Amino acid sequence: MTAIAPRSRNVIGAAVAPLRSSTALSIGLGLIALHLVLAVIAPVIAGHDPVATDSSNVLAGPEWTHWLGTDQYGRDILSRTLNGGRYALLVTFLATTIAVAVGTVLGCVTAYADNWFDEVVMRIVDALLSVPSILALLVVVTVFDAGLWVIVLAVTVVYAPAVTRVVRGAARTVITQDYVTAARARGERSMSIVFREILPNVLDVVLVEYAMRASWIVLLVASLSFLGFGANPPTPDWGLMVQENRTALTVVPLGTLAPIVALATLVVGLNLAADGLSKSLGVDRATKGVSA
Amino acid sequence: MSVVQVDRLAISYAAGKRSVPVVRGVSFAIEAGRTLGLVGESGSGKSTVARTLLAHLRTGSTIERGTVHVDGEDVFALSPSGRRALRGGTASVVAQNAGQALTPSMRVGEQIREALRAHGEPDGPERVLELVRLVRLPAPETIVRRYPHQLSGGQQQRVAIAMAVAARPRVLVLDEPTTALDVVTQAAVLDLIADLGRELGMAVLLVSHDLGVVSAMADEIAVMRDGEVVEHAATAALFAAPQHEYTRALLAAVPDGRRPGGSDHVPEDATVPGTVTSRSTGTAPPEPLVRPVVTADDLVIRYGRGLPAAVDGVSFTITPRETLAVVGESGSGKSTLATALAGLVPAESGTFSFDDGTVSGDLREPIAGRSPELRRAVQLVFQNADTSLNPRRTVGAAIARPLKLFTGSSSRERVGELLTQVGLGPEFADRLPAQLSGGQRQRVGIARALAAEPRLVIADEITTALDVQVQAGILALLADLQRSRGLSCLFISHDLAVVRGVADRVAVMTGGRIVEIGPTERVFGGPNHPYTTTLLAATLEPGSTELPDVGDGVPRWRHADGWTDRGDGHLTRNWEDA
Repeated sequence: MTAIAPRSRNVIGAAVAPLRSSTALSIGLGLIALHLVLAVIAPVIAGHDPVATDSSNVLAGPEWTHWLGTDQYGRDILSRTLNGGRYALLVTFLATTIAVAVGTVLGCVTAYADNWFDEVVMRIVDALLSVPSILALLVVVTVFDAGLWVIVLAVTVVYAPAVTRVVRGAARTVITQDYVTAARARGERSMSIVFREILPNVLDVVLVEYAMRASWIVLLVASLSFLGFGANPPTPDWGLMVQENRTALTVVPLGTLAPIVALATLVVGLNLAADGLSKSLGVDRATKGVSA
Repeated sequence: MSVVQVDRLAISYAAGKRSVPVVRGVSFAIEAGRTLGLVGESGSGKSTVARTLLAHLRTGSTIERGTVHVDGEDVFALSPSGRRALRGGTASVVAQNAGQALTPSMRVGEQIREALRAHGEPDGPERVLELVRLVRLPAPETIVRRYPHQLSGGQQQRVAIAMAVAARPRVLVLDEPTTALDVVTQAAVLDLIADLGRELGMAVLLVSHDLGVVSAMADEIAVMRDGEVVEHAATAALFAAPQHEYTRALLAAVPDGRRPGGSDHVPEDATVPGTVTSRSTGTAPPEPLVRPVVTADDLVIRYGRGLPAAVDGVSFTITPRETLAVVGESGSGKSTLATALAGLVPAESGTFSFDDGTVSGDLREPIAGRSPELRRAVQLVFQNADTSLNPRRTVGAAIARPLKLFTGSSSRERVGELLTQVGLGPEFADRLPAQLSGGQRQRVGIARALAAEPRLVIADEITTALDVQVQAGILALLADLQRSRGLSCLFISHDLAVVRGVADRVAVMTGGRIVEIGPTERVFGGPNHPYTTTLLAATLEPGSTELPDVGDGVPRWRHADGWTDRGDGHLTRNWEDA
């Protein structure tokens, strides 16, 4: 038999191995990391106050003091683009984490319960899945106003059902395994089975799901801002910037293009990461259940 | 020139940047009408070699050197169209699991026709029916209109064989063709393959880990280990005088159904200390006066309202320190009995109770209704150790959990102790199941059951997924632990040879009923119920080169009322000829 290295080295090795084997994953995680770093240090490196207006220098092209020019109020586009990711990333992180956490727990519990509770939860999930997400969000935001937590919770309600479905599909295949039967035969409590036996074995699906949902939620948050329901002016935000600057598209194209490029790289990064993760973790979404 | 000629074939598999040799220089030849058996444990490279006859390599594998000639042509030098003509035309394969090899949404007649059409053979209905008759399927006209799921496993395998021989291949490759079938069906399918090989003059390559199958079928046997052929000889000569030490070890590990007491010839390298000592079991019937640990009387178990009973009126007892083996084909209800005993399905009616003097309880209750003491007293070891251990938890955690649950505390020392008892060692506690071999995983499964300090262990086909040598080690371990701890055991198996080695008493089940129960030697010695007779006849003994005659596998009897007592607690259910 081959000698087994100490556990600690295996864990590090296991964490790094997917990166070495998948270019898509490396590039994806690199793009995400770049966005995170830029969002964190944006106030330091931006050079201009993103909300400071300058009526003497509006709609300027690229120049030495303003690399990407200024918008119709004379605000520095580069500074606004660098800062514009902060809001979107914060909302995405919070909303995705809560949605995936809720969906994962619900998915595992319903899959294991397989009784009236499962039936009731899944019918509610079906009902929620049938509502168009952007429409539901618009209604919520109109009623409760566009606070950060309102949007986070609204996005959670919209996306948690889809996560529930996918995780439930994955959990159902785990439940048929003998180690779950063994736990039942030991007389373990249901919650103990769900959290000790089932949950650790659907984590790969959950991880891929996280990256996937995050890319959708980034776009959704940007769409909300674009429609005027997300960040309030003059907050620097990509969706809002596209909305504000699109009328001046022919004069200062960079005002619209810069936030679009920023948004696109983030979404591409998340998608590449999800794709790379699913390949290196061996998670094939087609075999795990729903396409929702 | 031989139909199949393999010369110094070496294949390696790319794992990351390293290349791992899978096959290291294998040579053999098969003449038309002859059968070569390729045996070896899993991972020995036997399937990889077999697939090269169809110019197939797994992705990532490369031919390092050597050639494979089929019907005079170098298969790896063929053009893509030449390869298509080879596959199914000159050489064809019958896979292990016919249920997966057939398309579920297509009628079987249509699938056979497709196999004919692919090689430009006439594909009229007469030709399809001719093939169906050739593989001896009943009622050819109706069976061609069925879908694969409407056929039994044996019938599915016959359809797969019909498709394989459709284009009259020169070479037939059989990759564990009967592993998924029960003994009676296996014997019938092998009989068919042997006849077809003779009639059509094919060169047959039979890959199997089952020495019984190979010895009954093959003219010559090649034993593979770690990608090399360690011994190649005529079947009779190999069994009479094995030359290589690995072959000798392999033969010694085979449980011998003709001799009582399986663990007295465990190979020296079965790793449990002290297991080589012989154990005399099965000869003396257990004391009839001892109060049984488990009593079942007229037990009925049903999976759902309106479904036929999976266990239908079964009565038996298990006394302290006794091993009761339950044998029968798949679907006979033996596993249902095990799951009911473990409390995973509730019993519908009848008595089913546990009493060892200190703990007693009603086994009809599902697990949630049982007392902690009863749950602790009855422990289950699973058939498939790969799926019975949580892949994300270490071996130590898997054993610590029941320790904590049943004894209230767990320590590294106690876990290490248990691991030592099953022949592993404390250092295994930090490993994940994926880092263990199949046999080691099954030992962990046993350690997990022992952690609860049970009085009764349910062993549900625990060696089915293991190679013979590993199986011998596990059986010896179980026997050893049972003796030292005074455990009772319900041993479920379809392998009669294994059962004879470990059981004190045997119960034979079919269709949810016990048809015969008695001390092991009485059941093996007869006289028997006709079902037991068929089962015994169909068992393939390694070294015997005759295929058993089981007819078409259709029973010629039906149940009658009452039992016949044949003495010593040996009972057979009455039957009448049908």
